[in-house]
Amino acid sequence: MIFVITEHKDNKLKPITSELLVFAQRVGRDFGQPVTAVVLGSSTASLADELKTRKIDRVITAEHADLGEYNPDSYVEVLKSILEKEKPFLVLIGHTTQGMDFAPRLSVRLRRPLIAGCVEYEKQADRLILTRQVFNAKMNMKTSPRGEPPYFATASPGAFPGDEVETGGSAAVVAFPVQLSGGSRRKLLERVEAPKGKADLTSAPIIVSGGRGLKQKENFSLVFELAEAIGGSVGASRPVVDAEWLPREYQVGSSGQTVSPRLYIAVGISGAIQHLVGMQTSRCIVAINKDPEAPIFKVAHYGIVDDLFKVVPALTKIFKDLKQA
Amino acid sequence: MKIISCIKPVPDSASRLIINEAKTWIKDQDLTFVASEADNYALEEALRLKEKHSGDVVVLSMGGEEAARVLRSGLAMGADRAIHLLDPKFKGADEFAAAATLAKVIEKDGGADLVLTGVQSDDLGTGMTGTMLAEFLGWAHATVVVGVEANPDAKSLKVRRELEGGINESVELPMPAVLTVQFGINQPRYASLKGIMAAKRKEFKAVTAADLGLADDAVGKAGAMYEVREILIPARKSRVEMISGTPEEEAASLVEKLRKEAKVL
Repeated sequence: MIFVITEHKDNKLKPITSELLVFAQRVGRDFGQPVTAVVLGSSTASLADELKTRKIDRVITAEHADLGEYNPDSYVEVLKSILEKEKPFLVLIGHTTQGMDFAPRLSVRLRRPLIAGCVEYEKQADRLILTRQVFNAKMNMKTSPRGEPPYFATASPGAFPGDEVETGGSAAVVAFPVQLSGGSRRKLLERVEAPKGKADLTSAPIIVSGGRGLKQKENFSLVFELAEAIGGSVGASRPVVDAEWLPREYQVGSSGQTVSPRLYIAVGISGAIQHLVGMQTSRCIVAINKDPEAPIFKVAHYGIVDDLFKVVPALTKIFKDLKQA
Repeated sequence: MKIISCIKPVPDSASRLIINEAKTWIKDQDLTFVASEADNYALEEALRLKEKHSGDVVVLSMGGEEAARVLRSGLAMGADRAIHLLDPKFKGADEFAAAATLAKVIEKDGGADLVLTGVQSDDLGTGMTGTMLAEFLGWAHATVVVGVEANPDAKSLKVRRELEGGINESVELPMPAVLTVQFGINQPRYASLKGIMAAKRKEFKAVTAADLGLADDAVGKAGAMYEVREILIPARKSRVEMISGTPEEEAASLVEKLRKEAKVL
């Protein structure tokens, strides 16, 4: 059996859940294993109704008032009892803030392997090989879990195409009786939206984004000048924001804004997966970077491997000339 | 408060990484090692908490000379003492084996009020070790931390976590706890000359697997939960059209393609 631990918010399945189901359906086909989706929550009926239409075998629901808001103690306790009873082969979890908050604890509590941040898998003579990215996505590492199953794996957001999930199923929905021994040690106080400020990039048609390749804060003027000449907005990668070259509201990526403009120009951005998931659906992506191995080129439509300090001013000049013409 | 700051040595970001002959890791000779970037933020946060609430900061690392180097620099930044997990048997540890060893040395050192790690390392980058460590210790934890307020008298912490899509949440948790600290939580300080001089007189202890009573098959590669089959540079499955020439030619050609081919201008 392959288990998918679903992720949901406001009674809706999150996109990572479809990606995990695609991962599970593919591994399930290759290894001849049925797929089960697991939903934890305080009210799971509508989520289960949606899940059972996917081409899977079973939906397990675990309902409890204390599972209404995610907390790691309750999740680990409930999942441990489900997994010990069901003994699956593989347990798939999102490589998300929530998934990575409980998956490592669960893996240690059961003393079973966790391969985190998977982007691919393969079957080698009946063995499951899981591939993850290492060294900021510059290299891939193929791993095989040791010992007896269950094996845990978290899937990187964007690694599996959620829109290819097979539907047309009518899975059985089974309720798992939840018993929780105590409350959660971690108490949720509040959840707030970080201010978006003036740099709301989600509706910008053209974005010019800069990364660490600009070397220092002062050089970011190159990005602003190009954006102005082309009539676009400015974005940034996480390291730029961490170094305080620009405020947090400019950040594009999984912990910043998710954007999908008509044109996205990435200047000196190597393209960590966290950045790629925030911009890879842009209609046209241009990457300018001196490192030909930079992962950004994997999602780009047009690439220039050259010194950005020469290419960007040349581009700005062309757009300025075009404007005047 | 006693705060332990875990630091992983990783190759300097400017390093040219070459895969070893066995294709199981990179060639780590001749590389310059530095503290993994997120661990620097964690150490800075530990020092700030100590300055506010008084107490001790212990830096902890595993490895050979590269670990000693990041520990010395942690002492120079202001940590009070260092523990160096130094044993050839520790080599090849995965996150699970590393967390098990860290938990053991922390227990042996009398525990702590708080353990801080970076949210993820610059090499494996999976963000597992800190949370696994919390489970081995049986402590509460919080991941992706962007703000910490400690109340040592009440043995409690108020922590701000960063979630996806620009959402933050505040949570309360009891101490002792493990926090994995997000990039950008603070601006890490540089070691002063005075700090570097003072570091030479601070306690620096090396610890082996035997000192911790850990069996050979519980540490390093033998204690790992998974096998590394192969490290490779991924084949580029891409749609990218590369444009080359002088910078001026590249710029002109790109604009032409954006207008005529992609029709996005």
